[in-house]
Amino acid sequence: MNSKKIVDYERSKIERWSQFQLKHQWKVRGVVISLAVILTLIALKFIATDYQWLKFGLKKALLLGLLMVSLSQEKMEDEMIVSLRSKSYTLAFVFAVLYALVQPIVNIVVFKLFSSNHIDAGFSYFQVLSFMLIIQISFFEVLKRYR
Amino acid sequence: MENTIKVERAILNLTQQDLAEKIGVSRQTINSIEANRYVPSTVLALKMSEIFSKPVNDFFKLGNDD
Repeated sequence: MNSKKIVDYERSKIERWSQFQLKHQWKVRGVVISLAVILTLIALKFIATDYQWLKFGLKKALLLGLLMVSLSQEKMEDEMIVSLRSKSYTLAFVFAVLYALVQPIVNIVVFKLFSSNHIDAGFSYFQVLSFMLIIQISFFEVLKRYR
Repeated sequence: MENTIKVERAILNLTQQDLAEKIGVSRQTINSIEANRYVPSTVLALKMSEIFSKPVNDFFKLGNDD
């Protein structure tokens, strides 16, 4: 296999991956999973039991649900929808990086103002990923509405 | 980019929905193109050209900002 063939193979493979999408039905499933997980996480807040393992699993399920919504096709998928989705991914990426930069500072400010027990200058992967997915889905819906 | 798609549609007595169905996009996409909010791809422009039986240059014009 010469280098040109390798480049062509890689290019077509990346093209195929970048065009991967789920059928529209998966959007509804993703929304149902995400809402169910959010409601369960809220309910668990009021139950004074050790549920760390459950919380861990629910967080993964929420990310999966949001990803399903993000990757699902619209009922009428055309080139404009593809363009709007692309814009929403760009915005989500930029906002997620800004969030990652600002969040530790916010934590420190909150600590200084309210003197919590411990200062937490970090953040979890879950915070950043869920924030990014929610921002992407929200921007996509807004762009779609105002198209 | 400026266009006269609305005029071309009127000549053929087509609604936005009719044109959208003929070229395989949503009605909102046609609306956005007519309002100059979205510049279509070459493929879409050529599909319109076939429907209107006119060259693309007849209904798409470069604007002052392009």
